[in-house]
Amino acid sequence: MDGSSDSADAPPTTATRAPAPAKEGAWALVELQRRLGVRWEKISRARDKTEEIVATLRAELRGLEDPNCSVIVTGSLGRGEADEGSDCDWFLLVDGPSDPQHARLAREIGTKIRSVVSKDVGPTGTFGEIVASHDLVHRIAGSDDTNKNLTRRMLLLAESRALSNDVVRERVIRNVLARYLYDRPVSNKRKPGRYDPIPYFLLNDVVRYWRTVASDYASKMWERTYHGWGIRNIKLRFSRKMLFVWGLLAAFSGRLFDDGALAEASSEDEFLLRLLELIRSQTDVPPLELLARAALAEGVRDETITQIFSNYDEFLGALADPDTRRHLETVPFDDGGTDSVYEGLRQPSWLFRSGINDLFFKEHPLLPELILKFVVF
Amino acid sequence: MRPVGFSTGALAKGDVRRGLELQRGFQPRVCAVELSALRAHELAPFQEIAGSLDLAGFDYVSVHAPSRLGSLSEQEVFERVESLPPQWPIVAHPEILRTPALWRRLGSRLCLENMDNRKTTGRNASEMRAMFREYPQATFCLDVGHARQIDPTMSVALHLLLEFGERLSQLHVSEVGPRGEHLPVGATARWAFERIAHRVPTGVPLVIESVVGEGDMERELEAVLGVLGGAGEPRASVV
Repeated sequence: MDGSSDSADAPPTTATRAPAPAKEGAWALVELQRRLGVRWEKISRARDKTEEIVATLRAELRGLEDPNCSVIVTGSLGRGEADEGSDCDWFLLVDGPSDPQHARLAREIGTKIRSVVSKDVGPTGTFGEIVASHDLVHRIAGSDDTNKNLTRRMLLLAESRALSNDVVRERVIRNVLARYLYDRPVSNKRKPGRYDPIPYFLLNDVVRYWRTVASDYASKMWERTYHGWGIRNIKLRFSRKMLFVWGLLAAFSGRLFDDGALAEASSEDEFLLRLLELIRSQTDVPPLELLARAALAEGVRDETITQIFSNYDEFLGALADPDTRRHLETVPFDDGGTDSVYEGLRQPSWLFRSGINDLFFKEHPLLPELILKFVVF
Repeated sequence: MRPVGFSTGALAKGDVRRGLELQRGFQPRVCAVELSALRAHELAPFQEIAGSLDLAGFDYVSVHAPSRLGSLSEQEVFERVESLPPQWPIVAHPEILRTPALWRRLGSRLCLENMDNRKTTGRNASEMRAMFREYPQATFCLDVGHARQIDPTMSVALHLLLEFGERLSQLHVSEVGPRGEHLPVGATARWAFERIAHRVPTGVPLVIESVVGEGDMERELEAVLGVLGGAGEPRASVV
């Protein structure tokens, strides 16, 4: 991950085709189910439920718009995996001049959101706040990049949706990506006009975030004397891992999802703008759908696809069941080895991980090489 | 060097003759102009004087239609702009075009402009694509200040140019503030505009919309021409 590779470049050309944006909708998930002759009911239901809640929230927030602000949801609503018991992780993203009225705006938004989704957003203080874009854009890595800032930045990229004013969300995401991409020259010195599409800085931060999430799990266990460990553990095995999957796939967009438009850049600067937009377009694709798009590649076995998505389907089904969710939220840590509900999800999590491993390390035509070259050493 | 000039409204709000007069001292370098009827109440007086304006030395002339209908009906705005000299492109904001069948009658005289963050449409490539589907003959005015306000990286501007470059008939140039105000072009805006200058076809006129006083016109011209005036080589490196 040191930026020393100059491979993965593309031949130069003078054409001016605009890169195609990432296709909308869950088309890859639909295609996989058609191919396998299965239906992942819980995944579909969660997507439909998410759309229903998001539409209600958007309607509720009408009249509270500000051109320099966007109400952002992350978590299950951002991933398209919500159910009746989901909370609403949200923040007011401000990208413009400060205004004392933003505090009132955030309060009124909070009241409206709680009228639709009543569940508390958790004790971390990461959500339901005013977030200025400045820290997200300018404090990337270095000693001022707090755990909270890293989390917000990564969630904004990997699992966010705007309830209002998506143009602000997109603008901040583009600025964040510009910080990641414009960190080094990408021209191939030996082959003029060819450029390296691997964003090392972003890739390193994606890996850092995943390891931070895993470490924070242990930290929270310590701080909260294992309170809520069960649900947190299961989420780490599935949905938190899915964020890492999204991050890797999005960072490799230049190799995985380019339709040839990157090669038409007329300069290094334009190449980076095209790459930026290609990665940005993945921020509109939920993690599960992006994984499905990768899984459509030639060589990925049906068994692997089933292992990944059927077990994720089971995970979503478990969370959508109020009794199971409550049980996971309250199961004592000491019962972990014997609790049937927890065990009933731990085993699918192994299968899910095994499927992800097979996809990333063995079967995909590009990912094993990319992982080997850029993700570990 | 691309044709360049100012919007009359940026130099003299509501006074087209004064806006033209202020530019005379910069001819022949200034050879493009946009006649502004940006506020609805300016349209009727402008229509009355349009035929008698002294436009000598201006090789490119366009008109900016009102940005809001105000007290006028859409039909009235349309009829007034349609009656203007047919060689003048009519630059219009998407939001005033409520009856597509009406405005399609302008054919390629209709010049659609991309919008800033106060608007809910016409801000990026996908929204402009929808507009051009409605108005297939329309040309395009790229407001680089609006595009930068939507996206300071200029990725949106690049994609507007890549997708609609063949329709491009003029650029609007200014720095656009967070509340949509047209300001003189500052350093960060210049650096941003530099990134897409090479994708602006030679010969496309630059219309400066920065609100500046008479004493600041020269500086603004220099700033804009310094970044967007040439044929434009791609910026080679970013770091």
